Amino acid sequence: MFNLVVKYASPLKHVPVLPHVFDALLKIGTLLSNRNLVDFIDDIENEVLSWAQTSVHVHKFGGTQFNLYDKELGHIHGNGLLDILFSRKTKSELMLKYPVKEHHVFKDSGWISFQVKTEADKKIAIQLLRYAYLAAQKSKFAA
Amino acid sequence: MEPNTHNKSRIYTGILVANLISLVIVGFSKYLMDNMENNKMGSGSGIFVYSSFIIVPILMGLVCAWYWHPLQLKTSRYIGWSAVASVIAILASYIFLREGFICLIIVSPLIFGFVVTGALVGRIIYRRKNNTLNMSLFGLIFILIAADNFSEHENIKMVSDTIVVNAPIDKVWPLVVEYDPITLKENYWLFEIGMPSPVQSTVDGHEVGAGRKCIFSNGYVFDEKMVVYKPNEELTFDIISQPHDPEIMGHIDILRGQFILKDNGDGTTTLIGNSWYKLYVFPAWYFNMWSESITRNVHLRVMEHIKILSEENV
Repeated sequence: MFNLVVKYASPLKHVPVLPHVFDALLKIGTLLSNRNLVDFIDDIENEVLSWAQTSVHVHKFGGTQFNLYDKELGHIHGNGLLDILFSRKTKSELMLKYPVKEHHVFKDSGWISFQVKTEADKKIAIQLLRYAYLAAQKSKFAA
Repeated sequence: MEPNTHNKSRIYTGILVANLISLVIVGFSKYLMDNMENNKMGSGSGIFVYSSFIIVPILMGLVCAWYWHPLQLKTSRYIGWSAVASVIAILASYIFLREGFICLIIVSPLIFGFVVTGALVGRIIYRRKNNTLNMSLFGLIFILIAADNFSEHENIKMVSDTIVVNAPIDKVWPLVVEYDPITLKENYWLFEIGMPSPVQSTVDGHEVGAGRKCIFSNGYVFDEKMVVYKPNEELTFDIISQPHDPEIMGHIDILRGQFILKDNGDGTTTLIGNSWYKLYVFPAWYFNMWSESITRNVHLRVMEHIKILSEENV
């Protein structure tokens, strides 16, 4: 369902509020089909918020966005699809080490997508976000 | 954090305040629209603008989240309690706004979806303790509601349906003009749960200007006036008066009906039924889905009846 909407109704993401309604519906659907997954998303959110200088925001195209200062680390959609931006080099390394995929829209970029479904996936998601967090922190202080 | 007895009062307060605010806004908005439009509908009817079913439910969710966020509830709890808030809002509409049972079934998904959206967006926003942003958000919502109330709302649609009758045109035409009571079993779920369906049509003449009545299952009568009367070709009638009740018909005006007959040259007739209606509930994209479906099923019930009677006479 998520992929169909992203593929065929992509322009609608620019309609105000609509992406957030879609994400809320995704969460309701997730709650009905896999209640644990909604809790895993909460756990990931709480874990990231326990790291220094992080915050959560409403992602412009629906979902929860994780920031370090004002820079986006990644975001997670209501169906547990986690998107994180890395450098292309880091992305290539991570794709060998973790079961991550090309971003579901921006294939030719540093973005990766990872589908959270289980408790084990939740741990991987946290590791990936931590990786992005440390990289962003390093680049901030290097600058 | 899971809600204990003390925290539950905060959850209930959120639901109560959200519902009170929404009731005041929707009630005032309805009053304003009824008076501003000076519409021709009865006192039991009214216009519901976009804000009633989109912005107000989002505001309800945001208000709930405002009360709930210190409790750090799980997302699943937010969705569950939002469902409770939505059910209470729907019951309040039934009691205070005198909305009908079927109307409330139709609006329920919309209200629930937007209340959850507001609550989940609020849950994230209020995690940052940015009071300026939070108050700006409420301010923006009130501006949107006001702007919506003072904007023009107009939505006229046409629905068309076609069937082929296995009878010559002269057998079909008299039944298009008037027909005996429909005895077909209801096969549309909204008719099955109590929505009035068409039963019979009677006329007081066979020329332009003659009156026609379309009688519905609960005794409702639509008074019509023939504006085009071309035997074996076209019957068009304007609806000159119609009932208004808390159900669907309080939020829609049927403007005109039309039957067009075409001789297929093989002993069969193509029968086209058209209806024009004006909708008083918004957002149009949502309510048009319902009104099209309802109008289509009204058409098909009448046209299937005409088909059966015509084919019996062959």
